[in-house]
Amino acid sequence: MSTPATLSDADLVQRCRAGDSEAWNELVERYSRYVYAICVRGFRLSDEDAEDVFQDVFTRAFMRLETLRDGSALKPWLAQLTRRRCLDAISGGGREQSVEEVMGDEGSSDMEEIEEAFAVREAVAGLSEACQDILDRFFAQDQSYRTISDELDIPAGTIASRIARCLGKLRTELEGRNEAADGSSE
Amino acid sequence: MVARCSRDSWTDAGGVVAQAEAIRDRAVALAQNDGRVWEEALAALHDAQSEETSDARRDFQLEQKLEEAAAVPLEIAELGADAAALAALAGERGEGTYRADASAAAALAAGGARAAAHLVHVNLGVRPGDPRLARARASEQAAGESADRLLEPTR
Repeated sequence: MSTPATLSDADLVQRCRAGDSEAWNELVERYSRYVYAICVRGFRLSDEDAEDVFQDVFTRAFMRLETLRDGSALKPWLAQLTRRRCLDAISGGGREQSVEEVMGDEGSSDMEEIEEAFAVREAVAGLSEACQDILDRFFAQDQSYRTISDELDIPAGTIASRIARCLGKLRTELEGRNEAADGSSE
Repeated sequence: MVARCSRDSWTDAGGVVAQAEAIRDRAVALAQNDGRVWEEALAALHDAQSEETSDARRDFQLEQKLEEAAAVPLEIAELGADAAALAALAGERGEGTYRADASAAAALAAGGARAAAHLVHVNLGVRPGDPRLARARASEQAAGESADRLLEPTR
């Protein structure tokens, strides 16, 4: 039997509907950053408001999971739930700013960035652990080639090539996902 | 630029471009930090020299500022070594037409690493054997070797 972390969204939703608490935990883990990013980057909510929306979105998702007809559409469904709750938070908070002002002209590009960042994160998770580790060290932790070499005990002269190859695999992974997404939307 | 122009003939070119952009972004941030921490260290040094009496708290703060003023150039030295290594890789694997550009980039990066290692030495008022200075010197050497890999055959 597959572990929740390796399940597709559709299978994850199915397991959640069957009352599998591990699957639910995985669903929250998989999409918590995404939901939070929409709140904070897409709608510029304060940490406090974002936390409220975050809780509410997953509560509603849990209660309404049965209404999601296509489990593979989990991500856009959560995004829609989150956007609605963010708008409620803005309009119900007695704020002077309109939604348009909060989102601004850059609102849509922020949302695109969130989608892109999330897609990259998902694709990174599909790489080998060695690739995930070396990409994280170089791009997220800003480690130098020498530090990576020392800590992973691999020759310093090969680090740049290894990172480049892992990025190549990441690109392939991302292109595969995009093609799959295009195919399923046709 | 070398990797960007080599995409048709080098499968890893895109990955090298991404690393070069990350290194460039870090270099900009570090250069700004370097100026700031050096100014702060200089101000702390001036304060310490203007007081005749010893003050443990002030001395501690001065020490902290001098440490920071050495830490940033150390990072720059390591980044210079990375930039030189990446330039050497691009020069060796990328389009031959652009090898001279890669050589120039590696030489510049090596110069940056050398200058930064010198700043580590000066900022610390270092004792021989200080591990940070040793690390900065190792970065300087590694950067020089990367540049030489491209420059030597043309000499």
